[in-house]
Amino acid sequence: MPHVISQTPKMSQSGHPSGLPADRNTSLSVTRVIVKTPGSQKDFMIADDTSVRKFKEKLSAHFQCQMDQLVLVFMGRLLKDHDTLSQRGIMDGHTIHLVIKSKHGSRSLAHSSWNLPTNEPCHRDRNTKGNSSEVHQPAGVDQASVESAHFVGSDAPKVHTQNLELGSPEHIAQVLENPSIQQLLSNTELIQQFISEHPDVQQLMQQNPEVFHLLDNSEILSQTLELAKNLAMIQEIMQIQQPAQNLEHPLNPQPYLGLETMPGGNNTLSQSCADFNDQMLNSMQDPFESNPFIALLAGQVLDQFKSSSPSPSPSQERQDQLPQLPTTRVIYTSSRGLSSITSANGTSNRVNHTSGANTATISTKGQNHICALHQPAVIPALPSIELTQQLQYEDKDATISLSSSEQRLEDDFQLSDEQNNSQITGGMMQLLMNNPYLAAQMMLFVNMPQLSEQWRQELPISLQQIQLSDLLIAL
Amino acid sequence: MEPPNLYPVKLYVYDLSKGLARRLSPIMLGKQLEGIWHTSIVVHKDEFFFGSGGISSCPPGGTLLGPPDSVVDVGSTEVTEEIFLEYLSSLGESLFRGEAYNLFEHNCNTFSNEVAQFLTGRKIPSYITDLPSEVLSTPFGQALRPLLDSIQIQPPGGGTVGRPNGQS
Repeated sequence: MPHVISQTPKMSQSGHPSGLPADRNTSLSVTRVIVKTPGSQKDFMIADDTSVRKFKEKLSAHFQCQMDQLVLVFMGRLLKDHDTLSQRGIMDGHTIHLVIKSKHGSRSLAHSSWNLPTNEPCHRDRNTKGNSSEVHQPAGVDQASVESAHFVGSDAPKVHTQNLELGSPEHIAQVLENPSIQQLLSNTELIQQFISEHPDVQQLMQQNPEVFHLLDNSEILSQTLELAKNLAMIQEIMQIQQPAQNLEHPLNPQPYLGLETMPGGNNTLSQSCADFNDQMLNSMQDPFESNPFIALLAGQVLDQFKSSSPSPSPSQERQDQLPQLPTTRVIYTSSRGLSSITSANGTSNRVNHTSGANTATISTKGQNHICALHQPAVIPALPSIELTQQLQYEDKDATISLSSSEQRLEDDFQLSDEQNNSQITGGMMQLLMNNPYLAAQMMLFVNMPQLSEQWRQELPISLQQIQLSDLLIAL
Repeated sequence: MEPPNLYPVKLYVYDLSKGLARRLSPIMLGKQLEGIWHTSIVVHKDEFFFGSGGISSCPPGGTLLGPPDSVVDVGSTEVTEEIFLEYLSSLGESLFRGEAYNLFEHNCNTFSNEVAQFLTGRKIPSYITDLPSEVLSTPFGQALRPLLDSIQIQPPGGGTVGRPNGQS
């Protein structure tokens, strides 16, 4: 759009009714302009040669504010008091945007106002809703690192106690979003210290010496920490709400994750799977709530996935595998680099589940899926959705009759290669999944047999086609 | 008189389906869709977008979606960061609350369009804003409408934009 500053005479093209001569520099026509504020708009009739200042007077009377609170924007340009409306090219029917500044000085984004003055109030501030308006961006890395060092040094115990008090996931999610925390998390040594010093963790480690051993592995820790950083993302991705059953021994998935991401860790992976199965059996009824981080990591998200079976009726073994799966998938989905492995293992685990042979299949699939690393990570939704479907499948009493429909879908999925499968359906399912009422809604879908039939028929064909192309791309 | 500062305004366009829509839309919808578009406005070195959690902001490309699939130059604006944040705060309290999010009628692209017009007077490309009606004009879209209506998109990685405590 032309940006008119010059004093070109405004002709009667504004369409006003009166027929004033067009050769006058300033016409006395009245124009109708739309003044738009956030949330409302109103028409104003003003003379063309009105100065912006006069217009502001009018507006301030109407909106009941002071003139210096008014900011007028037209075509991206701020209107200054000494201009006239016609000067700026404002004609009939044009929209002028109005912002009414608040009386206090406004704040800017926390580019420059990053501060971590004292850790306690800051911590609390960040956790209360009001201050979630701050964008967490450090002004400088140095500043953040210095502060985080200070943060760590003097306030490590405070962090823990505070987190215990404010143990709800949203608070922690906000905390985790904080880049200084993230930097903290990047320092694996520190985290190792934290974790080992935490009494609950120590208790856990006593119960599971393997966990202790795995915690020492810095590689695993760094992977886990990367995950923890993306924790907020995990939660946001997983919005399925189902009644909770925290059957899981939450720390176990962490080492599971770590092992898996180590290249060539397939053998250890299969070994650990067997171990974890045992651990699952042992610790199935043992919720692990105390450490809010862990709870957040596994428990809360897991809760969302667990089916609401009143009593764990399905076979123990199956349920062992399943609790394992959700956490792994959940954790994986947050990490982009890992997500391809996630889906791969997720799907492989699914197959395992149906076939019943766990460890062997994982090891074979694991090798296949290392090479899936380069594929785009579109997976997040898929594993979780498959997971829910599985869990629902498990639950015989499920009001979710969609289990059968999902089973059908799953059957379709199994027709083609697992990798391509997850990739394809991931995107589709992503559209459908972020929905707390997915179950109910999908019933609707199920009840349209024609549609689902059509989809079932078309899906295998298209999947095969896409499978070929993907294989070519992979090569 | 000194010339006013001009700040560039960009539109970041993301394909939520990561290419799947382009491949599958002919089969599923019967028409070709190039993508499922999510957009955000980038100005003053920040990215602003609207989701089920309200108006959010993050460093450009800082959501879980990663870098944008395409960038559209919307123009430039004189609106300063301060004024812009005031504007966003007002929007977030009025028209663009989190609960107002609707995938078809009032989504991220609605927001981007609104903000683009405020900042530059220009609208965003129509292929983005026409997407909901494109989908709804297919039998598949109509059939799935109840399900799709309840979908809420909120790309993770942003922080909420709002008035700080104490301000009226």
